[in-house]
Amino acid sequence: VTTSTRVTWPDPESLWSSNDRALDMARAILGSADAPVGLTPKELIWRKNKARLYRYVRPGPATHQTPVFLILPLINRAYILDLRPGASFVEFLVGEGFDVFLIDWGTPGDEDRGLDITTLVTRYLPRAAKAIQKATGKDQMTALGYCIGGALATCFTAIHPEAIRNLVLLTAPLDFADAGQFGRMTARDIFPVDQLTATFPTVPGQVPDIGSKLLNPIANYVGTYQRLWERLGDPDFDVQGWQAMYRWVNDSVPFAGAAFRQWIVEFYQENRLARDTLEMDEKPVRLASIRCPVLNIAASRDQIAPRATTSIVTNRVGSEDASEILIEGGHVGIVVGRTASQNLWPRVGIWLTEHD
Amino acid sequence: MSKTEEASRPPDAFEIWRQLYDANEQAWSAALEQAMGSREFGESSGKLLETLLAAQKSVRESMRTYLETMNVPTREDIARLGELVVGLEEKVDQLGDRLDGIEEALRTKRGKAGT
Repeated sequence: VTTSTRVTWPDPESLWSSNDRALDMARAILGSADAPVGLTPKELIWRKNKARLYRYVRPGPATHQTPVFLILPLINRAYILDLRPGASFVEFLVGEGFDVFLIDWGTPGDEDRGLDITTLVTRYLPRAAKAIQKATGKDQMTALGYCIGGALATCFTAIHPEAIRNLVLLTAPLDFADAGQFGRMTARDIFPVDQLTATFPTVPGQVPDIGSKLLNPIANYVGTYQRLWERLGDPDFDVQGWQAMYRWVNDSVPFAGAAFRQWIVEFYQENRLARDTLEMDEKPVRLASIRCPVLNIAASRDQIAPRATTSIVTNRVGSEDASEILIEGGHVGIVVGRTASQNLWPRVGIWLTEHD
Repeated sequence: MSKTEEASRPPDAFEIWRQLYDANEQAWSAALEQAMGSREFGESSGKLLETLLAAQKSVRESMRTYLETMNVPTREDIARLGELVVGLEEKVDQLGDRLDGIEEALRTKRGKAGT
């Protein structure tokens, strides 16, 4: 046994190992922009302006009667529901025998500064629904809305109840009386929404993105890289999976000015949907008008759409069949996280089958 | 390697950071959440945003004036063209809707006449 009191600093072995890992980390982050995402085969069946309606290709005929219409948020890329093989809600639904359609709102440009939520709900969604009716020969469909897409799906169902057989809401904020940190950030006397939309025809995606990340800044700005560093030492770590998720998180979409303004003023600040004062194209939008079965899904650790903003729907809709599922996890994690395939997806699949 | 050698080995810098992070992450997050949930933070960030927007607006206006002087189309000019195209697309869609309505009415009428 030899004894030594010599201290080497820096330790060459640890230094090289850290150096290798730092390079792996840089490669993982920089390569994320090209991570393959949204790979489930699909065909374009309708388009309007930047919006695209896709139908996912099935290996055979659908085994369920009711087509599923996925309505995505305006501020995120649509591939979150079809992230990558094995981590795709869309792939799951197609595999379960559903005829799946998805509306991707695309990237608005300066020419879309006047595009508001009313236009999306009264001009885009009805036509997309009609395209689904034509493609399938079915008069009704299940509308499944995620986040802001859930609010759009709710408004659409309230105005066009005849087209919707079921409504599924995935972490959809609808009641902003207690909207948590987002509600405080966008309060009428604090947030300069008019100045923002007057300056930018489309609100840069970084604005809502930074807002979301500030809800948990340590975890989002430090923890993400901390966890990556740790996991890079694990030979079983799925780097491509991490890259796909990192790409989505940082792939923000600009928000058309008028839609952003309407979302902040009419939904967050004036809470019109919950107060039964929302109108679109002079038509009242009332939760009580929704009479179809409703499944409301909330996430236990959701800071973007806290439970107080999502739970209203089950009590206020006119439907006799309205239920809520609370899933352990965060706003995005419950949809594509490691447990999504064992928890959220099968539960939605069972509910849809029972309501087919 | 002897125990003494192991003990004298310099610690991995990341390991120290990881322990620090694990021990304090929740406390840091809670402190930040409390600070950012305050009205003062909201007012301050609102003012910061207003200032940035005023600066951005000034840059945009200067650029527009410059491009107009140079007889070069501005972003607004191009956006206006885009708006016209989007408006035309909406008109075509409305015509399509009306045609669909007429076809539907004819089908219903034929159906009634056939029964």
